[in-house]
Amino acid sequence: MEEASGRRSKLTIRSEREREREREREREQYRSSMLQCIFLLSDSGEVILEKQLTGHRVDRSICAWFWDQADSLKSLPVIASPTHYLFQIVRDGITFLACTQVEMPPLMAIEFLCRVADVLSDYLGGLNEDLVKDNFIIVYELLDEMIDNGFPLTTEPNILREMIAPPNLVSKMLSVVTGNASNVSDTLPSGTGSCVPWRPTDPKYSSNEVYVDLVEEMDAIVNRDGELVKCEIYGQVQMSSQLTGFPDLTLSFANPSVLEDMRFHPCVRFRPWESHQVLSFVPPDGQFKLMSYRVKKLKNTPLYVKPQITSDSGACRVSVLVGIRSDPGKTIESITLSFQLPHCVSSADLSSNHGTVTILSNKTCTWTIGRIPSDKTPCLSGTLALETGLERLHVYPTFKVGFKIMGIALSGLRIEKLDLKTIPPRLYKGFRAQTRAGEFDVRL
Amino acid sequence: MPPPAASSRYPSPSQPSGKSEVTDLKSQLRQLAGSRAPGVDDSKRDLFKKVISYMTIGIDVSSVFGEMVMCSATSDIVLKKMCYLYVGNYAKGNPDLSLLTINFLQRDCKDEDPMIRGLALRSLCSLRVPNLVEYLLGPLGSGLKDNNSYVRTIAVTGVLKLYHISASTCIDAEFPATLKSLMLHDSDAQVVANCLAALQEIWSLEASHSEEACREKESLLSKPLIYYFLNRIKEFNEWAQCLILELAVKYVPSDSNDIFDIMNLLEDRLQHANGAVVLATVKVFLQLTLSMTDVHQQVCAIVSVYERIKSPLLTLVSSGSPEQSYAILSHLHLLVVRAPFIFASDYKHFYCQYNEPSYVKKLKLEMLTAIANESNTYEIVTELCEYAANVDIEIARESIRAVGKIALQQYDVNAIVDRLLQFLEMEKDYVTAETLVLVKDLLRKHPQWSHDCISVVGGISSKNIQEPKAKAALIWMLGEYAQDMSDAPYILENLIENWEEEHSAEVRLHLLTAAMKCFFKRAPETQKALGIALAAGIADFHQDVHDRALFYYRVLQYDVHVAESVVSPPQQAVSAFADTQSSEIKDRIFDEFNSLSVIYQKPSYMFTDKEHRGPFEFSEELGSTSITPEVSSDIVPAQQFEANDKDLLLSTDEKDDNKGLSSNNCSAYTAPYESSNISSQMQELAISGPAASATTTQSSFDFDDLLGLGLSAAPAPTPSPPLLKLNPRASLDPRAFQQKWRQLPISLTQEYSVNPQGIAALTVPQSLIKHMQSHSIHCIASGGQSPNFKFFFFAQKEAEPSDYLTECIINSSSAKAQIKVKADDQSTSQAFATVFETALSKFGMP
Repeated sequence: MEEASGRRSKLTIRSEREREREREREREQYRSSMLQCIFLLSDSGEVILEKQLTGHRVDRSICAWFWDQADSLKSLPVIASPTHYLFQIVRDGITFLACTQVEMPPLMAIEFLCRVADVLSDYLGGLNEDLVKDNFIIVYELLDEMIDNGFPLTTEPNILREMIAPPNLVSKMLSVVTGNASNVSDTLPSGTGSCVPWRPTDPKYSSNEVYVDLVEEMDAIVNRDGELVKCEIYGQVQMSSQLTGFPDLTLSFANPSVLEDMRFHPCVRFRPWESHQVLSFVPPDGQFKLMSYRVKKLKNTPLYVKPQITSDSGACRVSVLVGIRSDPGKTIESITLSFQLPHCVSSADLSSNHGTVTILSNKTCTWTIGRIPSDKTPCLSGTLALETGLERLHVYPTFKVGFKIMGIALSGLRIEKLDLKTIPPRLYKGFRAQTRAGEFDVRL
Repeated sequence: MPPPAASSRYPSPSQPSGKSEVTDLKSQLRQLAGSRAPGVDDSKRDLFKKVISYMTIGIDVSSVFGEMVMCSATSDIVLKKMCYLYVGNYAKGNPDLSLLTINFLQRDCKDEDPMIRGLALRSLCSLRVPNLVEYLLGPLGSGLKDNNSYVRTIAVTGVLKLYHISASTCIDAEFPATLKSLMLHDSDAQVVANCLAALQEIWSLEASHSEEACREKESLLSKPLIYYFLNRIKEFNEWAQCLILELAVKYVPSDSNDIFDIMNLLEDRLQHANGAVVLATVKVFLQLTLSMTDVHQQVCAIVSVYERIKSPLLTLVSSGSPEQSYAILSHLHLLVVRAPFIFASDYKHFYCQYNEPSYVKKLKLEMLTAIANESNTYEIVTELCEYAANVDIEIARESIRAVGKIALQQYDVNAIVDRLLQFLEMEKDYVTAETLVLVKDLLRKHPQWSHDCISVVGGISSKNIQEPKAKAALIWMLGEYAQDMSDAPYILENLIENWEEEHSAEVRLHLLTAAMKCFFKRAPETQKALGIALAAGIADFHQDVHDRALFYYRVLQYDVHVAESVVSPPQQAVSAFADTQSSEIKDRIFDEFNSLSVIYQKPSYMFTDKEHRGPFEFSEELGSTSITPEVSSDIVPAQQFEANDKDLLLSTDEKDDNKGLSSNNCSAYTAPYESSNISSQMQELAISGPAASATTTQSSFDFDDLLGLGLSAAPAPTPSPPLLKLNPRASLDPRAFQQKWRQLPISLTQEYSVNPQGIAALTVPQSLIKHMQSHSIHCIASGGQSPNFKFFFFAQKEAEPSDYLTECIINSSSAKAQIKVKADDQSTSQAFATVFETALSKFGMP
């Protein structure tokens, strides 16, 4: 076989072992259980927690591999390592890393990790390494109920809350009744037994309360010529309900036609919305997001930002004016302006006639304005010194605007009424609205 | 990418060594184990917590296994959970100890608290110790009948776990039948969903060797069952909905009514808050439209489906976390490439926000490039130009490239050219570099813009350009438009004088060519520079530079006019640049919507089957570095396959040809071996059409001689050979194959045409191997890359141990397959060749 062996490099011998591996792979193909392991990593790459999900143990060394990758690869949400596919999300410095060896819908893994992060931060009252380490038993318990054999199970926070007591509750119980047989089990499996999966069977409250919050974020881009390139509202209807029994609610808007691209909580019935644009639903117990929506093509932002930079012979003059463009009728609060100084700026001397200016060592400059004063227009001005050798500035910063307006939804969406089919005793209904800046970029 | 080193764990520096602490814990636990004192559960909790925190940071606490189990006799649920967690982690490593746990877990499975029953059952099934499966049957059986749905849910998943530990035990206990009836009758949606997941997996795996399982597997896709699930899809939680939707993707609808019914049922799923549900629904919709028979109807449906799914997807992009946006954008990209016009008016959705991570920005830039058309180009290019001044240099570069791509795909590039030229005025080195490359490409496609471009490009000082690609582009323009740029010869001369400082071979090659072109147009000014360039080029250590310089020199020597017609023929505009991805590959990815393939922009066979991909990569790598044998032998150990191959192939060589060499001398012996190998490899690479036919004729002489027939090279028209039966389970040791191949004479050489479908399918060489295997012809070795593939096959006669060995070389560009057959029983080799040809001709056919 001179010929064949002569081209050794181009051939592969299919050994028995390989065929065995092939069969193994075929078997793997049909695994519906998908995620094999979840790791929580600290911001220094240390494994805080590891949860194996299937019989195929994933070695911790995969985390070391992951952490050693270059940033451009490491930041991607989906990564192919030599042995596994990795999904990751980063929340508050903690990396949630999931591993699999089978083909699966990537969004499912990412959505699930997002849900894990949300539930944990909800349970622990925030997310950081110490919180997770202090409460790792809770985290294990939660993961146990959220995913079994690699397939997501219960991620509805209200039901989880019934199965696993949040940490403060556990410690409270412990201090009051030590040695109490079982602190949660009585109410426990009712969530899964309920015919409405998001609601426990029969909660009872002495006072019945339901609150509706419209929370809107404005995303806008203003280009170099001061034109409004894009201006949209991303809004959520958040609810908090503490209602006895099995309430059936109807929420209607005064002007539902402004809404686009709605997404609903599973409790919302689709047909009433399609026919009359009313939200009809049996709410989960506690806080939840009823729907999200988008309102596009808004004509105006409440604020204007007018930046100007002129540069000549190694120095730049900066001036930025901020003011109210269209008065929303309520006070605009917490106005901030932040931007990244270009790399070639060696030093900056900036000051303002209102509010405070801070420049961090990473060249992030933040101007905290607060409210717009009635007597003057807030103005940031000063000079930037360029690195030696540079005549003019060629890279310009983008200004990020922050603001908050309480009591108004800038999209103009208004809630008309909230009805209950059967009105429980002592019912309190409340409505609120607020708008804040989402991604509001002003380019220069 | 090297595999992660197994030893590199993550010990935190402050972490205790653990030894003494663990012994300490052990004795404390022992004290508590028997105690019934009030408050003992609290102390246990603290200790358990300590044990588990050690376990979490990676300290081995398996030595307290016995104590942990003893302490777990408690009614405290948190303690139980901690104990289950601990046991689950260590049972696999300590099968003896886990017998201990079985007892208490079994008892807990009968606890009155459903949560304890459920948790105990889950832990029991998660122990995964093969010799303890008999203890699982009882608890699982009663768990499936439990009146609490929480326990049933866990029991169903438990059955699947049992199946993976011991499939036969699971089947013998008739659990699949129980699951089936639960799936159809249980009142709890989660139980039903888990049954579906478990049955899908079990029946798919069983299908290969049980007809009943095969029928059951198909029955999952029957119309009544699909509708049973789809009608009540809202009762399931979001993840179970994904599962059902994936099942629906595989369903083949009976007619168009069926299709519309399903679409109506699922329409509101597109507005679900969970992106995974939305994408799974989108996949069902796409699959349904693909299955439409009426083409006209299909086109209408596709457009309306695209319109329908567009807005939920766009919302997901802008409202989710960056990670979610990334996954959805990857899928949107697929749709956008298919139907850019549908998304043309939504371009603003793809504008980059300042705070977005660059992986999202990059995808958005691709999207903007894809949807640019006459109606929105102005806005898109304006937007892209703003990014060029972005602080993020990588994104700035990408956006300039995007502007260039749009310019290349548009007819009216007037405004874009102006924008590109403005980039050059920004005097930012990386902007200039990217722009120069683009201007070059643009000029190749639209030479009519040369005047506008040249005047600006001429003003750029070559000293400010460092990147080889950009420098090469500038030099190309200097050569191509030497007549329009007054100082072109002098700039070139300047560059040539600094030949030594220019390290990139690409730039040197372009310098040579540009000097030549310039010479033909403005000889007196360039002659000197050209002379220097040619001299420097011929002395260059880089092979290509040397060869090109020598070639130019000789052509010039031969005839200057010939040289001109060779080096500087009249310009021809490039009409289209090659697409990097074939449409066939794009189609494949599209079929795999809602999978990892989409993210990698490759069909799954290109990345999931790592071990198969290995050898092909391997040969590429060797091919590119084979000039120095040392290098290739350095590279070789990086591939795990190498050990195998070398073993198998070298061992025979050593024994038969190189008896004098001891095996530990292996590396010394590799080098000469390698070099002979390279020459043959080179030859093979050089072989295309003509050379291949030469070997055919030569070997067909062998064949003629052997059979003593005349000179006709065509297959002998022997009386129709008896039908040959092959053994479908033939096996042959690779070593035996090699030996036989050496010993046997070639009994037959033939050439066949391969049908175009076959050639298309050959993009996955593995598929041919599978295909031939289905005809009882087995592959023992394969290799090569497009267009030349080489396979070694073997087959065995049905009844007797008589082997056929075949070498098959397929050239995918000429669509010819050339086979050499060697056989134990030469009289039947023609019959085998017929079988082989028949099998090959069916390759790629549906």
